[in-house]
Amino acid sequence: MDIFQNLIMGFQVALSFQNLLFCFIGVLIGTLIGVLPGIGPTTGVAILIPVTFGMNATTAIITMAGVYYGAMYGGSTTSILINVPGESSSVMTTLDGYQMARKGRAGPALGMAALASFIAGTIAVLLLTFTAPPLANFAVAFGPPEYFALTFMGLTLVTSLAGESVIKGIMSGVFGLLLACVGIDAISGAARFTFGEIYLLDGLGFISVTVGLFAVSEVLVNIEEPMSQVYTQAKLNIRSLLPNLQDWKDSFGALWRGSLIGFFIGVLPGAGATIASFLTYATEKKLSKHPEKFGTGVIEGVAAPEGANNAAAGGAFVPLLTLGIPGSGTTAVLMGALLIHGLRPGPMLFQNNPDFVWGLIASMYIGNVMLVILNMPLIGMWVSLLRVPYKALMPLIVTISAVGVFATDNNIFDMWVMFVFGIIGYIMRKLDFPAAPTVLALVLGPMVERSLRQSLTISHGDLSIFFTRPISAALTIFALLSLFAPLFRAAWRKLRAAKLGM
Amino acid sequence: MPQQSATFGPGVGFLPFWLGVLMAILSILLIVTAWLRPADPTKKVIFPGRQALIAIVLVLASLAVYILLLEVLGFLVDTMLFTAFLLSVVMRERWKMTLLIASATSGGLYVIFQLLLEVNLPKNLFGF
Repeated sequence: MDIFQNLIMGFQVALSFQNLLFCFIGVLIGTLIGVLPGIGPTTGVAILIPVTFGMNATTAIITMAGVYYGAMYGGSTTSILINVPGESSSVMTTLDGYQMARKGRAGPALGMAALASFIAGTIAVLLLTFTAPPLANFAVAFGPPEYFALTFMGLTLVTSLAGESVIKGIMSGVFGLLLACVGIDAISGAARFTFGEIYLLDGLGFISVTVGLFAVSEVLVNIEEPMSQVYTQAKLNIRSLLPNLQDWKDSFGALWRGSLIGFFIGVLPGAGATIASFLTYATEKKLSKHPEKFGTGVIEGVAAPEGANNAAAGGAFVPLLTLGIPGSGTTAVLMGALLIHGLRPGPMLFQNNPDFVWGLIASMYIGNVMLVILNMPLIGMWVSLLRVPYKALMPLIVTISAVGVFATDNNIFDMWVMFVFGIIGYIMRKLDFPAAPTVLALVLGPMVERSLRQSLTISHGDLSIFFTRPISAALTIFALLSLFAPLFRAAWRKLRAAKLGM
Repeated sequence: MPQQSATFGPGVGFLPFWLGVLMAILSILLIVTAWLRPADPTKKVIFPGRQALIAIVLVLASLAVYILLLEVLGFLVDTMLFTAFLLSVVMRERWKMTLLIASATSGGLYVIFQLLLEVNLPKNLFGF
């Protein structure tokens, strides 16, 4: 078959010593970047562009792609170990991953994150290989109403997920949306909530808010608990470093569902690893036989989002390579790199430069393998980091967070944002408001608002546009149902109890 | 350029306004449901005890000072002092360990961020 011939050619390209070496370097740097809170894959890839000027195009892109999905994996490490998500795509991993670590199961959590990333990443590359062109058409069918419906659904799902009180979850999400409104409005150019501060014109940085809400608040909360107790349990019960057979059985469904959902979401330009991670988490929770256990440390809660975000990274290459549309910040930088090297992404890329495209795809398989080989032994190292007494760890966490936040934009102001949100995060935690919906709403907010206003502009203010287009209608109705379902159920129960009590 | 550019769709204040309304409604709901729920005597007081409160204030205050002095003292010196403060005062670590960990932290971070990642960390008058 034509595809297999191309793949073999691709492997020949990818397995050259130079490409292998740089794939490894990319994956290594990517993992490091992912682990450090603050710097994300976008910055990492951007930093590498000048470095790769001298290389040929294929090697350069292989390196940068390695950084991209290496960072996807690295972000999960801090999520699991210290409850600090490295990127928005790792936020869902904190919910169960950190709880697993507190129960002494950091090893299996990290292992499952690595293996789920590998499996899902490989599945994504397989799907990419075989379905790239027809998928491109699917991506194009998504217009503003569909994007609104998708992101709206994402928001409703995530607010119902975290924590017991639905009201507090929704409030947290609304808070996040309000935070997303800070800055220059994309459509009209008006500055909102900036209070004359230049640095707020671009909005509150996601990294600053997240690191403040998660890392700094975590440190403040932990001050109250007796210091030793925070990680003592982890010290005592490190039974195994890898997921056991039961873990695999539990995660099986999550893995393949996460890969598929993640890949298809990744294909959509704009929607990416973040949405994929919580859609799969929500799906697993709803399909699970024990939904109430999600959030306390179930392995599927790690396998699903971790698999999904790597699958989405793979899916993001579909619009980039086939249509020349970058789906996210990182793919935009990658596209810039492609252009610098003289390659024009788009339909002609497959025909004009097949060795490049297939070499890239083959290197993604190899990169996934390298990630697992690289990271499995490191799990032991990460877990032993937990043995470091909290006394020494706490200042380290604070300082790394502060520096990481500074490093995003070389701006002291971002550190103040982190500071303020550290306090806010502490208060939210004490009052049992989940932090995840805030952060996720902050990420999705601009897209929600933009697609809402674009849709209403298209329809001249008519709300029915969301219900007359098939995809949008399905997603919106599903979102509304999932939002009101718990309320209906509670009302139904009260009604029955009242009837019985009569 | 006309003032009103978004003639068909909602304007700039649309989303913040309705989010505000939503937040107000949810807050009322929260208060009402909490009021109607019987009090739970087993729940502990959420306000931190005196010792913890002092520690929290110390951490926050020192963090604020750290940020303020970052461009004055430069990254290396400021981070060293900040980490040392947190270790010795808040965590009550011995001075030898404090020195060791503080220098390792600021040095290590310098290497990772300034040298490896080429992030321009703040420098003081003397250039470091």
